[in-house]
Amino acid sequence: MRQAFREVEHTADRAFTVRGRELRDLFMHAAQAVLGLRSRTAQTLQPVKREVEVTGTDRETLLVNWLNELLFLSERFQERYERFEILDLTDEHVRARLGGTLAPTVLSVKAVTFHNLAIRREGAEWVATVVVDV
Amino acid sequence: MPAYDLHEVGENVWEIPATFRPDMRVPARLYADYDLLQKASADQSLEQLINTTTLPGIVEHALAMPDIHQGYGFPIGGIVATALPRGVISPGGVGYDINCGVRLLASGLTVDQIQPYLEELATSLYKNCPSGVGARGDIRLKDSEFDRVLRTGSEWGLEQGYARREDVEFTEEGGRIDGSDPTWVSARARDRGRNQIGTLGAGNHFIEVDMVAEIFHPVCSEALGLFQDQVVVQIHCGSRGLGHQVCQDFVSQYQSYVQQHKIELPDRELVFAPLDSPEGQEYFCAMACAANFAFANRQVLTHKIRRSFEQVLAGRLTDFDLKQVYDVAHNMAKLEDHTVQGCTLKLCVHRKGATRAFGPGTPGLPVAFRDIGQPVLIPGSMGTGSFVLLGTKKSMEQTFGSTCHGAGRLLSRMKAKKMIRGEQLRTRLRERGILVRSASMADLAEEAPEAYKDINRVVDVVAQAGIAKKVARLQPIAVIKG
Repeated sequence: MRQAFREVEHTADRAFTVRGRELRDLFMHAAQAVLGLRSRTAQTLQPVKREVEVTGTDRETLLVNWLNELLFLSERFQERYERFEILDLTDEHVRARLGGTLAPTVLSVKAVTFHNLAIRREGAEWVATVVVDV
Repeated sequence: MPAYDLHEVGENVWEIPATFRPDMRVPARLYADYDLLQKASADQSLEQLINTTTLPGIVEHALAMPDIHQGYGFPIGGIVATALPRGVISPGGVGYDINCGVRLLASGLTVDQIQPYLEELATSLYKNCPSGVGARGDIRLKDSEFDRVLRTGSEWGLEQGYARREDVEFTEEGGRIDGSDPTWVSARARDRGRNQIGTLGAGNHFIEVDMVAEIFHPVCSEALGLFQDQVVVQIHCGSRGLGHQVCQDFVSQYQSYVQQHKIELPDRELVFAPLDSPEGQEYFCAMACAANFAFANRQVLTHKIRRSFEQVLAGRLTDFDLKQVYDVAHNMAKLEDHTVQGCTLKLCVHRKGATRAFGPGTPGLPVAFRDIGQPVLIPGSMGTGSFVLLGTKKSMEQTFGSTCHGAGRLLSRMKAKKMIRGEQLRTRLRERGILVRSASMADLAEEAPEAYKDINRVVDVVAQAGIAKKVARLQPIAVIKG
């Protein structure tokens, strides 16, 4: 399988092609890609765990809402998430457990957009291109 | 260059006819010289411009300015006007950073006078004005006060002692967009914005100490309080997390609207609702709140910058007080009257990475600008300078009173970071007499001058087209990067 995520060209903002064997893998890799865009963070050792639940009207809306939820939580609670365990995933609902550390974090990302977003099958993989506003 | 059936309809004005694609409602028009046109063809900008011509209720043409580059939904540099009552409003036509804009402040000092204190001043500005997407400020707003910010914008700043009366007068719309209603700002948006007032943000946001390097129009410069070698300050920032969340909320909500009404869109970021629908009104009310938050944000930053100048320069120099020249928005949807084919229409003018440029005699301008037109502030990249322009009668006739907003990106952030090292850039700028303060060298590299188009060409195109008039050029001497 190719790289889980890879940054691709976008003139003004940042964009990633994300892949996964299962849809849950795609959601996990997208989270890793987007939350990796931290411009500044201070590491602490204090572990954090959080459970999240998000809905959407279709797969693409669900993915955008999932990623925006993670960004909100990271910014709001100053937490750095590195582990994403998808507990339940349908086309309109995702429930997941996040693991990471408490870490004063300054994010580079304002929001995840719908631009050019289409979750599709390519051979044995799920693929999507995610554009974020920075 | 891909085939877009471009026709040159004026000097540096290109049009793609409405027949080019079956879903186009009006032509698409781009202001650009040939070089900038080729650059626009290198990404999805023109495709995005064509996509905006499909919006219901659009009048005349979809427009793009010479700083056009790929965004999402609308291109950056895009202008679309839709006719009320049934014309649509599109959150993507405003952007995530609602009322991202620029403010210009002018001192009575010259660059020679400030030079000995510039390092200290740059450090003070960097310390006093927090930066970064999630950065928090030192002002904590209670709910009732927060509502006041969202309803009244700069006027809240005046009440709280962060503004002078002239600051409010010399801000677009008096620093307050009417029609705001905090009911439609989500709890999450409030949560994100609550501790962020008086903060700079990140990306291409900055505070910049400049010198007035060139005067093009002495009479108009004098009317704006500008003179050769003068020290001035620009602030470039917007509505922070509150605005981002408002846009997110409604782009997400409108996905359901278009699905329910079985509307097919060329791009999901182009979701819309009729302005006279409940959905349309709710977004407008929330957008106005976010816009007012941004005005208040730039006002608090103005206060902090004035304080920094006083802290560093009091007792050493006189004339360091900063007077506001003007404050403009470049991501907004405004309700304005414009003449279209001889009739006055009420329009919703979306400017996404485009600046209002009202000409002389336009109602609503401060008395001081009624004869000369509205000041237009066009920041370039750090290192390449910025421009002060004035709006013209021609912009009212041709572009719904609009012009460009900046240099426009040329390189992706990825490419910029591969080509340029932040540390080397900082050294290079210092050798040119430009001090830089930035928390992240990687972020600095993304904003390198090479990543942007030539601001001189962009401004020359709008000046030659007559949709703005050059007044002065500014050169940076210290940059505080968000």
